[in-house]
Amino acid sequence: MDLNPRRVLAQRRTERDTERDTERRALERRLEALEADVQESRALNLRVAELTDVVMELLVPLADSDDPRVAAIVERYRLAISPDRRGGD
Amino acid sequence: MPDLPTISVVSADDDGITFATPDDQADVLLDVRFDGRRIGSFWALRDTRSGPDGRTWRWPRTLAQVLDGRTTLSLAAHGADESLWSSDVRFGTSDTRLDVVDPRGNPLALDKDLRLVQLLGSRSPEQLAPLLDSMTEVVAALRRAGVEPFVAYGTLLGAVREGTFIGHDSDADLGYVSRLDHPVDVMLESFELQRRLTAEGYTVTRYSGAAMKVAVRESDGTVRGLDVFAGFLRAGRLHLMGEVETAWRPEWLWPLGEVELAGRRFPAPAEPERLLEAMYGGHWRVPDPAFKFETSQATRRRLGGWFRGNRFKRESVWVPHYGQPRARTRTEVGDVVRWAHAREPAGTTLVDAGCGTGADVVWAAEQGRTAYGFDYVPKAFGPSATRSTKLGLPATFLFGNLTELRSVAATTAALRTVRGPTVMTAVHVADATNATGRTNLLRMARTLLVGGGRLYLQVLVARDPAGRRTGLRPLDLDAFVAEAARHGGRPAPPDPDHDLPDPPAHLRRLVLQWT
Repeated sequence: MDLNPRRVLAQRRTERDTERDTERRALERRLEALEADVQESRALNLRVAELTDVVMELLVPLADSDDPRVAAIVERYRLAISPDRRGGD
Repeated sequence: MPDLPTISVVSADDDGITFATPDDQADVLLDVRFDGRRIGSFWALRDTRSGPDGRTWRWPRTLAQVLDGRTTLSLAAHGADESLWSSDVRFGTSDTRLDVVDPRGNPLALDKDLRLVQLLGSRSPEQLAPLLDSMTEVVAALRRAGVEPFVAYGTLLGAVREGTFIGHDSDADLGYVSRLDHPVDVMLESFELQRRLTAEGYTVTRYSGAAMKVAVRESDGTVRGLDVFAGFLRAGRLHLMGEVETAWRPEWLWPLGEVELAGRRFPAPAEPERLLEAMYGGHWRVPDPAFKFETSQATRRRLGGWFRGNRFKRESVWVPHYGQPRARTRTEVGDVVRWAHAREPAGTTLVDAGCGTGADVVWAAEQGRTAYGFDYVPKAFGPSATRSTKLGLPATFLFGNLTELRSVAATTAALRTVRGPTVMTAVHVADATNATGRTNLLRMARTLLVGGGRLYLQVLVARDPAGRRTGLRPLDLDAFVAEAARHGGRPAPPDPDHDLPDPPAHLRRLVLQWT
């Protein structure tokens, strides 16, 4: 066992540096993943805006139609999301 | 006056200009002149690459394409009368004098984005009038549509610094700051603006959820696009597409003031200097024709993450591609459309996704088949559309962007109104678009082809040994087929009567069928 204080200190320093390096690399990886996650969720803004626009400006006016097929689709969709399947709350 | 920079040119040829400069010299902005006329500018260090013979500034691709002929090439410190170096050179093989002009003879030069354009500085006051008229018109149209526009970016810079356009600028920019404060609402407002402008008769091209180009036909007949950038305030910060994110107070913007631009008044932020500093940094008062935005990565990511992603490779690859006469006039009919035509019953309607110039659509229509083509570069199919109308062919062309959900919904809905059996072709589409575009292509196919319709595809599956293919990346075919299955599309059984010869190894053709 090496008891030379200088060498012991140097050895500890090396160990500490290695540990820090490992930690830093792990943090860098987490940061990259986090940045990708943030970017992914930011992209939802455009998607939500486009979807809202399509629904409000295209689908809702289309549903305002005398075509019985449209009425049937609207009714089917409405029933499918109504808790008692008859349309009431 | 600072000392003139030391530049000794080693060579100037078809590739670029190579020169030696001392290592310790500060970076310097140089003008490149042909027969005494400035054609572009570059920073001696920032924009060049170091090699064994010195530093080289390569001709930007747009300029390299037209370099053919003789000229007196010179380098000068930006704006200086005296040249640092000058020499007679010959580019390409021509012996005539090199004239960098457009077909009407207007002088062209490089703008800061290295596009070869007619710079505003080379226009006479009479030539500037149509641009000013267009700006006045679009400002009024935007006001009618409910926002408060102002001149932005280079146009604001020129107005505040010089009272006119910046000579090395090539277009005019407008901006507005929404009274809404959430990115989703800002985009919905921008979509509504687009509708209102379109209803007034303008052609609008969307760049992102928060930027668009409004085309205006000028008095001399040319069509000009004015960029309109949206911004919004949130939590004490201004976000303005496409480069600004900064701490901001509403009173720096509102009520809007005015600036003078080439003798006319235009709306501007209440304190335009503050916006200019946010856009161009503290040095905005010093002219720099080779300016590059140094927008922080965080700002780019934030604005890009919120607003961008709906025009994959359009302005960067396909618009310039179809700007080349060779690509624009391509009328070669592909094997895939002939194959689909031979296999499908006569009454089946053809829909060509990503139709490009529309040569396949026109061919199918000439065979008597009702055919539709859509593409996100309408200029590409313009001539085919005109020709089809003139000849009375059953061919119809639509704008359709696979990476823009609104466009996918509208295009699919429009094509869905076509009654009867449908077949789709998509030649080099799945390998040109991104994952969003592929998903939308398959969604569209499912909607249009359900009940037995087929989608004929040709894709790149490996690098083309003959060289890079514009805008295409080899496709992971297994992953694509698996995704198609999730959308209800299965590989169709082979048809020995109508089989195509195998394509070269780097290509694959396949037929998907929806039951």
